[in-house]
Amino acid sequence: MHGVKRVKPTPQALEARKQKERSKIQEFLALSEDILQRKKDNDFSEDAFKQTTRLLHVNPEFYTVWNYRRTILVKGLSVNRTEEEINKLLADELVMTMAALKSHPKVYWIWNHRRWCLERVPNGPGAEGEDTANGWKKSAWDQELYVVEKLLDADARNFLAWNYRRYVLAGMPVPRPDTLELAYTSKKIQANFSNFSAWHQRSKEFDLVRNAMYTDPDDQSVWVYHRWLVGTRASRGLLEREIEAIDELLGEQPDSKWCMESIVHYSVMLLKDHAAEVDVEQLTEKTRRLLGELEVQDPFRRQRYRELGEILAVLLS
Amino acid sequence: MSTSELLIPLHVSYIQKLGENKDDLTYHLTSHLRLNAVYWGLTALAIMGRQDALDRNEMIEFVMSCWDEEAGGFGAHPGHDAHLLATLSGIQILVMQDAMERLDVDRVAKFILSLQQPSGVFAGDAYGEIDTRFLYCAVNALSLLGRLGDLDVKKTVGYIKSCRNFDGGFGASIGAESHAAQVFVCVAALAILGRLDEVDVDTLGWWLAERQLPNGGLNGRPEKLEDVCYSFWVLSALSILKKVPWIDAEKLTAFILSAQDPEGGGIADRPGDMVDVFHTIFGVAGLSILGYPGLVDLDPVYCMPAEVIEAKGLRKDWQALPRREK
Ligand SMILES: [Zn+2]
Repeated sequence: MHGVKRVKPTPQALEARKQKERSKIQEFLALSEDILQRKKDNDFSEDAFKQTTRLLHVNPEFYTVWNYRRTILVKGLSVNRTEEEINKLLADELVMTMAALKSHPKVYWIWNHRRWCLERVPNGPGAEGEDTANGWKKSAWDQELYVVEKLLDADARNFLAWNYRRYVLAGMPVPRPDTLELAYTSKKIQANFSNFSAWHQRSKEFDLVRNAMYTDPDDQSVWVYHRWLVGTRASRGLLEREIEAIDELLGEQPDSKWCMESIVHYSVMLLKDHAAEVDVEQLTEKTRRLLGELEVQDPFRRQRYRELGEILAVLLS
Repeated sequence: MSTSELLIPLHVSYIQKLGENKDDLTYHLTSHLRLNAVYWGLTALAIMGRQDALDRNEMIEFVMSCWDEEAGGFGAHPGHDAHLLATLSGIQILVMQDAMERLDVDRVAKFILSLQQPSGVFAGDAYGEIDTRFLYCAVNALSLLGRLGDLDVKKTVGYIKSCRNFDGGFGASIGAESHAAQVFVCVAALAILGRLDEVDVDTLGWWLAERQLPNGGLNGRPEKLEDVCYSFWVLSALSILKKVPWIDAEKLTAFILSAQDPEGGGIADRPGDMVDVFHTIFGVAGLSILGYPGLVDLDPVYCMPAEVIEAKGLRKDWQALPRREK
């Protein structure tokens, strides 16, 4: 359970709630039992299907019932049906799960069911070779991208939705141009720099991250991304350029632990890989001073800063 | 009662009473997690030194009643379909209760192995949802069954590798954002497979250490709220990397303790919220890794008592904080 406040009901209130829930529980148990029995009996009827709709409406996490529902679709409802009818059946499934997603955007099983449906949309309505040969597929996958973007508007950090969006993009019958995709993630990052999920879709880019550094310097996402851009084997020029830029930012934000930590990291890289070309003494002195300050500024992680200091000592010996 | 200490007797009675909530609708709406919940309750009790608080025979019979004869694995509840999540819980309970003779090891190993995909990841069941969580379930279960030899380790490690991100963390699938729970499953699976060389310890350690927020609690991703369950996901990964000292143990301990319900027992996601058995086990597990006095050692790789894992000769090279005296 997440984010549900603890309330201590009075004994009377508790009794009243139990009374109220009693009939709901009975109804739910009767429905589950009926469905599990039908499942055992290999009942693939329309009736059984309707029962699964009722139950999943109450409890979309009942994965066994989603499984059974798919079995009914395959072994019951789509038997002896035309492609058009099957397309309609799957479209109805997508509508049904859309409602479920709105109230339960983080339930894996719903996303999984949509995936299953999407992959089964038949070819048509046109015949092979015609423009509309994959018209159903195209519109189903386009619709899917629209749906997932709606959900991302509601919560830009829903990683299930991001994963699903990636899946949709990879599977679309007509691939979307990369430029559109870049525009989309840029928009999401600019709306909220801490949007790690959107960072994640990006390829390497220094400008964007430099921008973010100045706009939102307290956000770890930016600094991790920057470190990745710099990489593990950077030239002296690149390291010095980045240190200088961060130094400048530190001048404006003298308490920024992220600035200090990053300068330490890049300075250690300089000392490790380019010792012959830098002023070792001055750089060491500065790094030590920053590590000392970090221990004060950010005491929770003091042990890590001490270990970085030890690495520095080993490096110099 | 004050929450400055772990209220063991209260938590024990809270867990004992979980099966008595049959007049509560939520109890029935969570039947798809029942076997997992039994494992969480049992492990929490074991870490608090009270494994005897639930009846052993009754529990073993319940586990066996969840067996899905058609698939050859465990479902979460009698009549539910087999799934890797429930199958791992069932096996973990049988191992902890020393009742492996009840299990058809060949069949269940076959079921687990049948779920590996060509890419190396595992599906949760025959319906195909894939996730690194399921990969961990498979690796953990096969290891407990003594059947890791049947696994294509190279392919499995290959998939984990392809989920590694620029922050050193891991996601649920290729290209997915890092998340502390996914970091735990990937790092623990690599530990079991003896392939921790695939982890960028410095970057991942940094990312994990920064999960601690000013109130002492840990979050699962940058710019998210703290939550007691991350105490386990983050700490277990840190202990496998031997970097638990990179966070402030005292502050985290205080945060977990403050999320206890001092009247009814149990631990919540954060102070003042409703408790549940999921946050109770992961709170207790976190405290064990932090060396909280009086608790039993937890194996962070398998999330089971360390003693049980050692007895099977499966202990990996992890490091929790030393157990403190009262
Ligand atoms: Zn939680």
